[in-house]
Amino acid sequence: MSAGITKGGASAAERHDGIAVAPGGLEILSRGQGRPILLIHGVNTISPKAPFLDGLARHGEIIAPSAPGFGHSPRPTDFDTMYDLVQLYREVLDGLPDKAIVIGFSFGGWIAAEIATAGSAKMHRLVLVDPVGIKIGGREERDIVHFFNTSPDELNRLSWHDPARRPQGTYGLGWQSAIDDAMPDDDLVVLARNWDALCLYAWRPHMYNPQLAHWLHRISVPTLVLWGASDRIVTPDYGRAWARRIPGARFELIEEAGHHPELEQPQAFVDRVARFVAGTS
Amino acid sequence: MQLWNHCECPYPFVSQEILDQADSVRASLPNMLCDPKIVATLYDEIFDEYRLCDDLGLHIVTNEHHAGINNLWAANPVITGVVARVTRKARILSLGTLVTVRPDPVRIAEEYATIDVLSRGRLEIGFVKSGATEMVNGDANPMRIREREWEAIDLIEKTLTTHDGPFSWEGKFFTHPFVNIWPRCWQSPRPDFWAATSDFPTCAELGRRGIVNTLLFGGYDRTRQAFDAYKRGRAEAGLAPPGEDRFSYMGFCYVGDTDEEAYRIGQKIPWFLTVSIKSAPQFSTFQPGAVAPEMAPKAWRRGAGSKRPTNLDVESLVRQGQMFAGNPDTVVKQIKEFRRRVGGLGSLIMMTRQGLVTHAEAEKSFELCAREVLPQLQDLEPLDEPAAPVEPWRAVATAAP
Repeated sequence: MSAGITKGGASAAERHDGIAVAPGGLEILSRGQGRPILLIHGVNTISPKAPFLDGLARHGEIIAPSAPGFGHSPRPTDFDTMYDLVQLYREVLDGLPDKAIVIGFSFGGWIAAEIATAGSAKMHRLVLVDPVGIKIGGREERDIVHFFNTSPDELNRLSWHDPARRPQGTYGLGWQSAIDDAMPDDDLVVLARNWDALCLYAWRPHMYNPQLAHWLHRISVPTLVLWGASDRIVTPDYGRAWARRIPGARFELIEEAGHHPELEQPQAFVDRVARFVAGTS
Repeated sequence: MQLWNHCECPYPFVSQEILDQADSVRASLPNMLCDPKIVATLYDEIFDEYRLCDDLGLHIVTNEHHAGINNLWAANPVITGVVARVTRKARILSLGTLVTVRPDPVRIAEEYATIDVLSRGRLEIGFVKSGATEMVNGDANPMRIREREWEAIDLIEKTLTTHDGPFSWEGKFFTHPFVNIWPRCWQSPRPDFWAATSDFPTCAELGRRGIVNTLLFGGYDRTRQAFDAYKRGRAEAGLAPPGEDRFSYMGFCYVGDTDEEAYRIGQKIPWFLTVSIKSAPQFSTFQPGAVAPEMAPKAWRRGAGSKRPTNLDVESLVRQGQMFAGNPDTVVKQIKEFRRRVGGLGSLIMMTRQGLVTHAEAEKSFELCAREVLPQLQDLEPLDEPAAPVEPWRAVATAAP
């Protein structure tokens, strides 16, 4: 198994919308120039239409691989655990030309935190955006709304500050409620692949590593924990618990945003990331 | 041909108003709606039906579903063990406990070996891939269940057939460093295996392994295609053509004194499809793995949520080959026609005590079936497609210790 990325996707064949396919088969979206900004996607891959991309690309070179099984990336045989994902993204990081700002969204935030906990010389800064991945509450308290056992309409309601303002062509949790006849076939195929892959990696325990919370104190890079104030998939209190466990971590809320603040408040998201990186340089 | 009674022990006692309001009648319906006193009576009635079938020469199928009005046999090995103890002659097919949900196939093998001994060699072991709400109630990952099922089957088979253990198993999905069950099973080398599927590649694999292929409500065409896939799987592997006993079909069935009576009572059976399978979209259409990604545009654009079947009157179901209903002679004709059109059938599994069918109605159908239908299905002329002899180890099974 190999990430197949050696230089921020530069060796890959350009396809469209800044998406390329690396020699190892991973689909990669890249945009901008400068210090690498590695995006680790969450429920769904980073869409070329994502409203924060251009703003963020003014601060470095965005590199956003689609993890195996997600997007159009193939999934090698027996690549089926969080352990595999963590090793793959470590390999991606190691292959970058410079130290990277790593931004993990939701499920991708969990991956990013696993990498940071294990330690990576190539991680410059860490931004966790509404991550899942740790267990905080008691055994009869659910920290994370169940992605797969909750009705799509309920997921849609809990995931967004205002589901009606979901940016066209991008999908977060509750994407099923956005299905209409106008959606391109490829979007539906990719959503199905993403949903299947997410389930494969994180059905049980659902969306967390029971041990991770005990080791977050090992994170040694400056860390920003960003949270949508209206997120009811994982609440801001859960986010504060995350931040408390990471030495020196900053916790910030983004108003009028749910589980996907980068999609609902793209400018605020970019501003917070830029300010954090500048302030900790 | 062998005839089997399959009852899922349904619970049609929750008010329609509540069922209409619920988004799912499986998985999430609170068990405050289930009265254990009613369930106890149901259990008594159905075990009495099993005993009647045992006396009459019909065989018995048990299965397993969880947390729903459709089925109260949640603990299949427990139920099958009881059947083993209260019957004397009938073969008993567990179809089956949920091997893709349960964590330890060795334990399953142990349960089956125990039942095989209890029944003195009357057990047949069935496998189902499962899915949907079962994954939710069992907290089992719905992805890769077919691969998990095959590994479970392999481990169960090795556990049942290894007698110089302990042996070690370090598989993809299951590990067990010290496998050695007591008692070992009665039949040698093991009870016959069955599997319920209409997936053609899986049918072909069943063919290569000699596992009985049973279809559930597949109708004429799908069943024929599945059985053909089974036969091709064997032929392409250079194996002898399968015996007719390798093919089984489950359909609704009611035998009455007259066609009119059978149709009237038979109309109570499709409750199974009209009411008891209502399932929320997150447990069905949108469950991961439920739809192959390349099929998602077609599957999801038609609208989310469970598809409620149509054409569920007895006449339509009979026409589609999903139900056998009428007076005994009518039913014999239907079964013979079905056997001819699907290219051979060794077992018919009859779902009779289903939906709103009463205990007395079920017993009447079984009696007519055993006395007037079953004799007409013995020593049938071979079909044009010659059937191979019975698998050799099935013959061995009857000469158990």
